[in-house]
Amino acid sequence: MLSITNLLMQRGTWQRTYNLQLATGQIVTLQGRSGVGKSALLAAIAGLEQPVSGVMTWQGQSLLELPLEKRPVSMLFQEYNLFEHLSVWQNLQVGLVWTADTIASIQAAASQLEIKDKLQAWPSDLSGGQRQRVALLRTLLRPEPLVLLDEPFAELDNVTREKAILWVRETAQQTGKTVLLVTHQDEDVQRLADTNIVLKMSIESNNNEKNIHHP
Amino acid sequence: MIIAYSVLAALVLVTVVAFYGLLDLAGGDIAWALFRDEYFYSLLGFTLQQASLSALFSLAFAVPLARALYFHPEWRSQRVFLTLCLLCFVLPSLVLITGLVVLLGRSGWLTPFLGEQWNLYGLSGILIAHVFLNMPFAVRALYLQWQSIPDTSWRLARQLKLSPRQQWQVVEWPVLRGRMIVLAGFIFVMCFNSFAIVLALGGGPQSTTLEVAIYQSLKYDFNIPEALALAWVQFFIVGGVFLLLVRFGSVAWLSVDTVAAQWRPKPTYWWRVADASIYGLAWLFLLLPLLALVAGVWDAPWSWELVKLLGRPLWITLALGLFCGVTAVIIAYIVLLPVRQARLRQHYRRQGLWEWLSMHTLVAPAMVLSVGLYVFLLRRVDVDRWGMFVVAGLNTVVVVPFALQQLRPRLFQFDDQYAALVRTLKLTAWQRLQVEAPWLQSSVRAAFVLVMLLAMGDVAIFAIFGQPDWVTLPWLIYNYASSYRLAEASVAALALLLLFAGIIFAFEGRSDAQHH
Repeated sequence: MLSITNLLMQRGTWQRTYNLQLATGQIVTLQGRSGVGKSALLAAIAGLEQPVSGVMTWQGQSLLELPLEKRPVSMLFQEYNLFEHLSVWQNLQVGLVWTADTIASIQAAASQLEIKDKLQAWPSDLSGGQRQRVALLRTLLRPEPLVLLDEPFAELDNVTREKAILWVRETAQQTGKTVLLVTHQDEDVQRLADTNIVLKMSIESNNNEKNIHHP
Repeated sequence: MIIAYSVLAALVLVTVVAFYGLLDLAGGDIAWALFRDEYFYSLLGFTLQQASLSALFSLAFAVPLARALYFHPEWRSQRVFLTLCLLCFVLPSLVLITGLVVLLGRSGWLTPFLGEQWNLYGLSGILIAHVFLNMPFAVRALYLQWQSIPDTSWRLARQLKLSPRQQWQVVEWPVLRGRMIVLAGFIFVMCFNSFAIVLALGGGPQSTTLEVAIYQSLKYDFNIPEALALAWVQFFIVGGVFLLLVRFGSVAWLSVDTVAAQWRPKPTYWWRVADASIYGLAWLFLLLPLLALVAGVWDAPWSWELVKLLGRPLWITLALGLFCGVTAVIIAYIVLLPVRQARLRQHYRRQGLWEWLSMHTLVAPAMVLSVGLYVFLLRRVDVDRWGMFVVAGLNTVVVVPFALQQLRPRLFQFDDQYAALVRTLKLTAWQRLQVEAPWLQSSVRAAFVLVMLLAMGDVAIFAIFGQPDWVTLPWLIYNYASSYRLAEASVAALALLLLFAGIIFAFEGRSDAQHH
């Protein structure tokens, strides 16, 4: 279980406090208005940003004490997920643990995500949606049990989006991964989520702190 | 990271040891009384004047020229011209001086047309040489800036029916402004520290700079306290300007990317005529001293013996350049590690400090570094035996800032785009290097060629530590020139020029092949 209690994030005068819990193996979607702090929360879980205070544990172990490199987290960003100067295949090579089954897994996933013919291409030859699917493939095939996806389907058309959602769901279930996914689309929530969290801002009187709750 | 801090410490140590060497010899004495002397203020005034004017003229000529190049991608000779610009920037001072003397000296080709008053020796000669060396550098840097203007800006300007003046104000000037300040500062620093040009073309005490005065204090008067006082002044002035440069950003200039499908406004007829004239004059300005050098060779007593004499110095120069190039690029990459780490953690003051320390040899007077180190080592090492190693080592240290300037923007760009990705993918140091290597490839090549050529052109350090058995080509030119064997000096200078041109054209050819 991922448990977050009174996690305070601060960037200059911007402040957010988070409280939430995710059961292991769940797919949880995260919604909320722009600027509410969805990406900041993912960055804190991944270890890219340091919270001011609070508690964050995974399977009972504190994540805050772990450096980013040791956290059981795999993350997909909104942009810059691929090294532009490396081919798609090289991008997958540097991002995945290479075992006997890796190539078969990549090809099966690429086939389902309709990017199999792009595996030898260069990122500059791919559309935004194709790039996002390559990155999605790599993020989910990595060994970490906790997966963070920041708007993974934003650049996909409806048909591809549906296929990608199905693949994420199947892969997460088969490998027992816990997925926390930011999306603005209600359809993604309906098709994919076991639980949906809507982040809200409430401003306490007499101070600048903004608290975030979830239902 | 421990290795990176150690390398950085070693760089700083070289300067500290050099200053210590001189201070120790002078018994800790620094001639502060010099600051009450009128001589000091005229010296400082001339140094500031020539550096400011050099920067001003270099930019004043570079702006219309770079603009002409940008608006005329159809000029087929453009690529060769930009390569020539690179050659001019790294051209050893002695080669340039030889060419300028043939062209504008007392019995130069053009001297009869310049009137009775003309004298190459003094401010005019220094400015011509400095503009020759630095204007091409500014042209390449500004051309890159113009190229960074997105197509959409031009299309929008056209859509809004902006006049040429408005286009300049709204589209072009904002892209150039920041870079112009940095460029002006950089050229100022280079000219403030200029040594060989001022020594050769200064022509007397009224046209002397701090760097030359330091040399004269050390060589002729052996007045170390005076040299130290002047060195501190130079260190603080140039260091201050350089601190601002580090703060404002870097000068990326060596790689010239051409974007085939770039959209830009079509110049009018008179605009085209003006641009073509500027372009033609620039070709003339840059080629004439080089052609004069070639012509000077006709008078040389050609013989197989002379060619054979050049062989060994040529190989030594090349080996020295290769060693310094490889080592300086590796050092630059390593010392950039703590700089990048501080930047990623948003510790900007620390970043500035590491950057300044890693580039400080650009502001430390080269003469003080060389002589100080010599004095320090003299009592501890057999300088005659190990001199060539010191020449290689010190040349490497001096050119590290140039390699650093080339690698820094590319590595910062990598960090901006991929630092988070690299961390979340949990790449090992080896994997990280594998990812960075192809990204850095072109910058590393550019840095390597630049620092290799700069090291190959060295005379100042060799003058102090060099050994007669290991003479380099620039030193051979100096020897010939100082013994009035000008024809032989021209032959050696031509050989060096051809070597430089060969390396640069080969490098630019490879870059071209990669771009297309």
